[in-house]
Amino acid sequence: MKRTVLAVLACLLLLPLGLLAQVRNELRFYLHSDPRTFDPLLVTDESSDTISFLTTGRLVCVNRETQALEPELATSWKTSRDGRTITFKLRDRVFYSDGSRFDAEDVAATIKRMMDPNTHSPFADIFGAGTLTARIVSPLEVKIISSTPVAGFDRIFDQIAIVSSRSPLKEKAALGPYFIADYKPGSFIYLKRNPNYWKRDGAGKQLPYIDGIRLEIQANRDIETLRFLRGEIDLINSLDSEHYDQIAQSAPASVHDAGPSLDSEQMWFNQVANAPIPPYKRAWFRSTNFRRAIAFAINKQDLARVAFGSHAQPAVGPISPANKFWFNRNLPPAKYDVNAAMKLLQQDRFRLDGGTLRDEGGNPVEFSIITNAGNMYRERMATMIQQDLSKIGIKVNVVTLDFPSLIERITEKFNYEAALLGNINAGLDPNEQMNMWLSSGESHQWNPREKSPETAWEAEIDKLMKAQSVSTNPAQRKKYFDRVQEIVVQQEPFIYLVNRDALSAISPSVIGAHPVVLRPETFWNIEYLRLGSNARGK
Amino acid sequence: MRALIIRQLLTIAATVILGGFLCAIFVRVAPGFDVDMQQLDGRLSAQAVEALRAKRQSSRNIVAFYGQYMRNALHGNFGKSLVSDHSVRQLIAERLPATIQVAGGGLALAWLIAFSLAMAVAVLRSRAADMFAMSAASLFLALPAAVIGLACVFADAPPLLAIAAIVSARLFPYVRSVLTRTGNMPHVLAARARGAGELRILFMHVLPVAAQPLLAIIGISVAVALGADIPVEALCGIPGIGQLAWQAALGRDLPVIVTLTVLVTIITVTLNSACDVAAEAVRGQHA
Repeated sequence: MKRTVLAVLACLLLLPLGLLAQVRNELRFYLHSDPRTFDPLLVTDESSDTISFLTTGRLVCVNRETQALEPELATSWKTSRDGRTITFKLRDRVFYSDGSRFDAEDVAATIKRMMDPNTHSPFADIFGAGTLTARIVSPLEVKIISSTPVAGFDRIFDQIAIVSSRSPLKEKAALGPYFIADYKPGSFIYLKRNPNYWKRDGAGKQLPYIDGIRLEIQANRDIETLRFLRGEIDLINSLDSEHYDQIAQSAPASVHDAGPSLDSEQMWFNQVANAPIPPYKRAWFRSTNFRRAIAFAINKQDLARVAFGSHAQPAVGPISPANKFWFNRNLPPAKYDVNAAMKLLQQDRFRLDGGTLRDEGGNPVEFSIITNAGNMYRERMATMIQQDLSKIGIKVNVVTLDFPSLIERITEKFNYEAALLGNINAGLDPNEQMNMWLSSGESHQWNPREKSPETAWEAEIDKLMKAQSVSTNPAQRKKYFDRVQEIVVQQEPFIYLVNRDALSAISPSVIGAHPVVLRPETFWNIEYLRLGSNARGK
Repeated sequence: MRALIIRQLLTIAATVILGGFLCAIFVRVAPGFDVDMQQLDGRLSAQAVEALRAKRQSSRNIVAFYGQYMRNALHGNFGKSLVSDHSVRQLIAERLPATIQVAGGGLALAWLIAFSLAMAVAVLRSRAADMFAMSAASLFLALPAAVIGLACVFADAPPLLAIAAIVSARLFPYVRSVLTRTGNMPHVLAARARGAGELRILFMHVLPVAAQPLLAIIGISVAVALGADIPVEALCGIPGIGQLAWQAALGRDLPVIVTLTVLVTIITVTLNSACDVAAEAVRGQHA
């Protein structure tokens, strides 16, 4: 009898212990593709960016919530008046995951490798034609000198991951909260807590709280949603509105709409001089009145409401209101006005003829919009634009193409009339958009690689963008870039349609998450995230 | 027999070389071959974009590319992926186990299902059982591989079941037809008239004769399984060869697509040839 009672008591005691043992301290979420690189200086894709964010250290960091610049590996910094030199004082006693020490030599080596033309680092391109060199003042102080003044010099270092100059693991030696412990291509990446991570919480406890992160590689968004609902993954960093609504139906507390993101959806007309399109169509596309009329005739409010299930806002201009500092608040709100559209078209001698809009030469106004196949939001928007423009007698044909074919048309062959695509803005600073606004830029989509500006307004944008890129006065830079935004809204080279909302899903088992609009939306404060007792292993 | 083997080896070599070359041509002429998706990254300078273009330039002359590719392939070097920069050989080696598990397991299960059902129909000689099995096979034949793959995702079922369903739906009608036809042959009817049991008839009189036509479709069933493996792996998120092929096609990744085509051609043509040789051997025994 006594033995039986003892056995029952032991079982009762062991039961909660067993349950506790099942609580996992491992965060799980999906990457949508294999990372193209683990070298943080070569990152161009989202998956590589996620790994870089979780495993590397930066001198300074933009707080994703306040958008203010905060110290990280640098405890303080000072930019010279001429904007050519920045001096960083570095944090002492910081070690990589393999135990090697971090100091000024690593910063200098990172800058040297990033600026090497053979590296082809996209981060070097932020500095334009200027060169960057680093001079070690002491092990804990480094000067970075640019050949030309750099606007927003300090904030650029939020993007530059410091790579070890001495560790045999090279870029895999982590200064960030985690290091790469395992990688099975196409399957998963396992990140383990960096035992040497320098950051501590208010109580002096070493961060991060979560021991490991399992990143499964899964391109299928339906599977991702299904597994989130089953509790197999803890978060979805970036959701589309369809899956957001799906999760909201069964787990309303898990979904978060942080408001308009930095990303925009836009359409533009092909204005390339030697594009293989009829000359009369090129003349329409190069007419400001024509482009503005199209912008007036598209009901952006409806696009946001119908195509995105109200999880988007009508776009005002090239910069989203989510970009607190750079957004020009004086821009007029998006306006849907068919009469204004018709007036502008009449100014260019377009006329309605039995429900068909014709130009001065009698050509019916008809064009095709290309967009990427499989993106149902863009397909929906294109169809709605087709309907809106039919109201002013314009016939629009929607053509969906797979992505490589689409890129070839808009960047190399220029055999298209109008395109509908999105713009992903990872950074806040307009310098990151230089290639889009400079007339000579590769990403100047409506007319790339112009030898010299083909219009007066493009020449003015060139001048303003160059001026802001070398100004060290933030207020002056803002003034220049506000004017760029005004010109873009007046000329409509890109017709900005909507800013999608930053949607995410986080399991209630993740404690401390505050989703924001800046990337990475849900785990920007990864060090401070915890898993609650309802996070169980499976 | 030796002449047959030599003829088959020559056929394999010619088919592989031609198959790989045709694939290379199709990828080269596909729209979007000359561009890299990274070209849309607004941060990249003109020089960086030019470097991306240059990476694709080396494959522009498809004859030169294929000649060089074949020379390197003979030394086990299949080049580097244009998308990920990883060695193609390494990519395939890393992904092969998952495909063996899904496509190989699915194929084995498909044969088991098709054979078991066909044998049951042949032994039971029940019209209802035959109609039921044929209806199920027709249903799975009518469903696209992607739909069956998605059903597995939503049912949280192992993806090899999708492959098994797809392949067995194609195998069963053929196996059933072979077994039924053989079951009506005079020597089988004579055995049945002598009072031999159905199982004895099946194993002693039907299967030895049916072996030859059944061997002929082994190669075809492998080709069907590999074809179905691409959408199933892509939809179910299985990190195997099928998913790699899907991604390579989207990225116009010439070295990866050509290597996978050559690999699949080698597997299917070799199996077909092996089956032909085996069938010939069986025919020789019977003669």
